[in-house]
Amino acid sequence: MGSNPAQRRYIGRMIPLSIAYMLAVFGASSVIPDGAAATPLTVIIALVPAMAVLGFIWAMGRYLTELTDEYVRLLEIRKALVATGLTLALASGWGILELFTDVPRVPLFYVFPVWCLGLAVGSLVNKVTIGDGGPC
Amino acid sequence: MKNRLKVLRAERDWSQQDLADRLEVSRQSVNAIETGKYDPSLPLAFRISDLFGLPIEAIFLKD
Repeated sequence: MGSNPAQRRYIGRMIPLSIAYMLAVFGASSVIPDGAAATPLTVIIALVPAMAVLGFIWAMGRYLTELTDEYVRLLEIRKALVATGLTLALASGWGILELFTDVPRVPLFYVFPVWCLGLAVGSLVNKVTIGDGGPC
Repeated sequence: MKNRLKVLRAERDWSQQDLADRLEVSRQSVNAIETGKYDPSLPLAFRISDLFGLPIEAIFLKD
């Protein structure tokens, strides 16, 4: 990645956001003890890393809208659609299992990382169906 | 959709990258269009048409 201006801007946004996310997670886990009650203060501190995640999503959205190459945009949107479908299927399937059985509860936190892994599956789907995985 | 992009490019001795630079798209896009994996949008088809100085129907052919 990094061969066109949209990709370079995307990387330029994701690097500081990733640093902010790691610092916020480290900060929140240092300040909030395990199993702390949900008070206004703990909620606000815990939401700081969430703001960085919102930043990731914003950066991904900007990347798609700033891509001027329509073919590359098509590949990226197909990847996002596969990731979304996969995440919805896994979340819904596991959610129903949780509803009716005693399978372990999976924290909602994992939805976004699963979606990101879904992008890799989307790239594979592009490779198999179009013969072109798209930018990595 | 079939097209004559590869022939037209070869007539001008342009590489895929040369054509991509002229169209302001990626080489990946030119390759996808040439091999029929991707049909360009109407605006891009018009840019291709303008670049080669040919009507769209002389470049893109019905299957």
